[in-house]
Amino acid sequence: MAFTLNRRSFLQAATAAALAVPLAKVVSAETGVVKTPIDPKGTFEDKTVTGGICEMCFWRCQLVGKLRDDRLVKLEGNPKSIDNGRSICARGNAGIKYLYDPDRLKYPLKNVGKRGAPVWKRISWDEALNECGTRLKGVVDKYGPHGISVFPHGSSAKYPMHFFERTVGTHNVSEASFFQCRGVRDTAYLATIGKAPGEFVDMPNAKAIMLLGGHMGENVHVSHIKQYIQGLQNGAKLIVVDPRYSASAAKSDIWVQIKPGTDTAFLLAVMNYLVKNKKYNAEFVDEYGDGFDEFAEAIESWTPEKAAAECDIPAAQIKEVAELLAANAPHVAIHPGRHVSWYGNDFQRQRSLACLTGLLGAYYTVGGWVPAKNPKVGGTSWKKKEANHEFNLNMDKEEEPIYPFSPPGTPTELIRDAALTGKPYAIKGCVIWGQNPIQTIPGQEKMKKVLEQMDFVMCVDVMPTDATMWADILLPEVSYLERYDLIKTGTQWDFSKEQQQYIAARMPLVEPMFERKDQVFITNAIAKIMGYEKDIPVKSIEELVEKDLAVAKLSLAQLRKEDGIHLMPGKDPYQMPEDFEVIFFNEDLEDYGFPGAPTYIPVEQPPKGYARLLYGRVPVHTFNRTQNNVWLHFAMPQNPVWINDEVAQKIGLSDGDTVELVNSEGFKSKTTTVVKVTPGIRKDSVYMAHGYGSMNPLMSVGVKAGIDDQSLITKISVDPETGAHGMRNNFVKLIKDGKVLDIPA
Amino acid sequence: MQYAMIIDLERCVGCHACTIACKAEWEIPVEFGRNWVYRLGPKQLDGTMASTYYPGLCNHCTEPACVPECPADPVERTFTSAKTGETVKMEVAATWKDPFDGTVQIDKSRCLGCGACAEACPYNARYVNPDLVDDVSSDGKADKCTFCQPRLLAGLEPACVQTCITGARIFGDMTDPKSEVSAYIKKGAKGIEATGGSLGPNVYYFGKAKDIKLLFNDSTPEVADLEKARKRAMFAKLVKPAVQKAGQIGLLGAAGTLLFQDRNKV
Repeated sequence: MAFTLNRRSFLQAATAAALAVPLAKVVSAETGVVKTPIDPKGTFEDKTVTGGICEMCFWRCQLVGKLRDDRLVKLEGNPKSIDNGRSICARGNAGIKYLYDPDRLKYPLKNVGKRGAPVWKRISWDEALNECGTRLKGVVDKYGPHGISVFPHGSSAKYPMHFFERTVGTHNVSEASFFQCRGVRDTAYLATIGKAPGEFVDMPNAKAIMLLGGHMGENVHVSHIKQYIQGLQNGAKLIVVDPRYSASAAKSDIWVQIKPGTDTAFLLAVMNYLVKNKKYNAEFVDEYGDGFDEFAEAIESWTPEKAAAECDIPAAQIKEVAELLAANAPHVAIHPGRHVSWYGNDFQRQRSLACLTGLLGAYYTVGGWVPAKNPKVGGTSWKKKEANHEFNLNMDKEEEPIYPFSPPGTPTELIRDAALTGKPYAIKGCVIWGQNPIQTIPGQEKMKKVLEQMDFVMCVDVMPTDATMWADILLPEVSYLERYDLIKTGTQWDFSKEQQQYIAARMPLVEPMFERKDQVFITNAIAKIMGYEKDIPVKSIEELVEKDLAVAKLSLAQLRKEDGIHLMPGKDPYQMPEDFEVIFFNEDLEDYGFPGAPTYIPVEQPPKGYARLLYGRVPVHTFNRTQNNVWLHFAMPQNPVWINDEVAQKIGLSDGDTVELVNSEGFKSKTTTVVKVTPGIRKDSVYMAHGYGSMNPLMSVGVKAGIDDQSLITKISVDPETGAHGMRNNFVKLIKDGKVLDIPA
Repeated sequence: MQYAMIIDLERCVGCHACTIACKAEWEIPVEFGRNWVYRLGPKQLDGTMASTYYPGLCNHCTEPACVPECPADPVERTFTSAKTGETVKMEVAATWKDPFDGTVQIDKSRCLGCGACAEACPYNARYVNPDLVDDVSSDGKADKCTFCQPRLLAGLEPACVQTCITGARIFGDMTDPKSEVSAYIKKGAKGIEATGGSLGPNVYYFGKAKDIKLLFNDSTPEVADLEKARKRAMFAKLVKPAVQKAGQIGLLGAAGTLLFQDRNKV
């Protein structure tokens, strides 16, 4: 065993504090020593509790818990689920280690040290809430509501976000899920088909599936993976476009090893080939398309040869992809992607994907893009007020939007720049709720300066993430296993099966421990102190959920009776809405000064001696959120940096070597990781999993494990249409034994 | 009958749900596992790129290398067929191959914790769990995948099979020609036989030819050096006679108990 005793003792210490021996104890009469049955008895005879909804990631599988002496000993998929079924992923299975993580926040804390170098003092909830309420009110009184910025993430952050956005009245909300993740995708599809696309591709029934950067297997959402694998099992051809031989590339029929940043050129060439060779679905385009002629003209220079040179792939492969798609159209699943904040030219790529789907006639058709028809529930929250553009940083002096296709909220850089310059106004209050902006947003040092200049910073979280080190007041939140909140709705994952819908409300599987509280309790208390008592929409989170369920003529009591999941007949998802259209050439875009047809915008290439830093996921982690989970940590304790084998040989690196990274702006990683030498990555790029390298010493398992890719993403790219970040425009060298190694061209 | 498991690598996405579910079900210490998932590649194979996974567990071999190495004194044990209720008596040490369901099992209350069985297994499917100690052994107890026998007896699937998100783990009786397991074996699913051995592993792998080739190239072990296992067993026999006695008593009286050692004090 390569593990030292120290390591073992450490890991045990990390788990044992919260891990009361779950086995029944027996005291021996002769010796007096405590004895327990030698064979663990398994959890299958323990009491089953229903109503859980997972939030180890944001797919939200439906759970049951196994309860032994009031402790949760195992989580499983709810057998009644038509979504994840009895399955849950590694993270879902490790949920109990999150729940009982001894490093979890337990009490309200006040920072009596400095932001970034906190000294924590335990305080009462009264004192903590009073401090948050009065300090935030102080900011509002002095600077106006727009003096407050909010960085929310996750289902529990919605209620407080709405309070600050709608009731207090600040536009300055930066949701990571929009500005650092999928916002570009949603607004690009809105500008093309009038709808955010979700990941609604009917993969189980597709004849061909195309993933652009999607690395399913490394990225895991249970029912989505079921769809993907069912599609492949049914014989779908898989096209994977990725600079790296990803988990999906390994299952592909065609792997397009594209040069990073050039995806749009590739897509334009595929589309142009379909148009030029009349292999697109002309009937569909005639009926549902808008601006096709302008579109066709705008992309006509994109021959396979031109794109091949730009993308560094064979022209024949571009034709092969186009032919494969055409041959299987319209039953092709062009995946819209999920995390798409890559290069700052992403809106155009996402528009291209939406247009390609249209050319193939692959909307609302078997195997194409088909949105699930979910049942309706309520959306109780703080009352919406009339739209008001005063103090909206995304509006210029002429009241024109700066980023007209911005997702909801305000683009992160606008908020940060205002905070740092005080122009056009000061931002002096900060509410961080479930987000970790230090390891989510590019420009870590910039983010720290933004937080340092605040009059007041409050954080609400489950774990002591790196961002929490910048809080003045840090509040402990109940986890997804201890609270009510979200209502998950959906359908069966394979549309070829009987159409069904489900409604499942998150219900606690165990009582909260220590002094952890939920989002409604915390938000309402702060609202009261800030003078908004009359606006409070609900007294408790239970009341909120009851109201939302009542819309579907359901209640928590009824759901409990139904083992946590209400099933009902579904609707035909393939039926196309009457007003559906695909806008190939968008005049609104042109009016705003952007190209009306999808357009390729080249990105900066690595300077001599550097490789582009690419990042992605591993199946056992959700960004940084799960890094301190002892089971998941042990499964993948660091994030090896992938480097091309020929490059590695030239610069003297071997598999398993320990390295540091330094980027072209001189930022060096604070920690180390190991090298994975493989032919499965391009020579101009290196790759690592995102979310590692926590620096908060309170995360005793995850701290300094691997390298934080975000600390090396310092060059800030912003997508011009949306204001969302692009995060793959940073260039790095590797350092071994203190020696900086140039990446050969 | 012979229980067997299929790992369908066409379906497997390497997500580790199986390993973590097993940890939860059987309270496995953090740094050990009764099963594992290794990522193989990406590497060049016959001029093409390949990458797959090695999801491994105890093979419940037809001729297990581990069972004969157990130095615990043999005792008579009665086995009952879960299917027919039929019983049979067998002399067994602290580990055996079940005559009815074909699984390989351990009696932890009689295990000396010597690790000879773990040494004998070419697949590294056994480990000594240092948390499980009693009067018989302060070194811990051998532990490994049981094919979730207690769950099977309760009419359930193995925990890893239940949680597998893509249905890549298929479990059943390979002697039943109508089982899905048999169908896979007919389709060409293969066990990873150790080089130089004829153990007859009963975990079978199915997948694309290049993935299977990568798996077998990278993950086929040599048979274990039994000398090492035997030295361990011998040593245990020499130094633990008293313990074995205690073990016998344990079997009669306080069967199935152990001392929970608080390792945090170490």
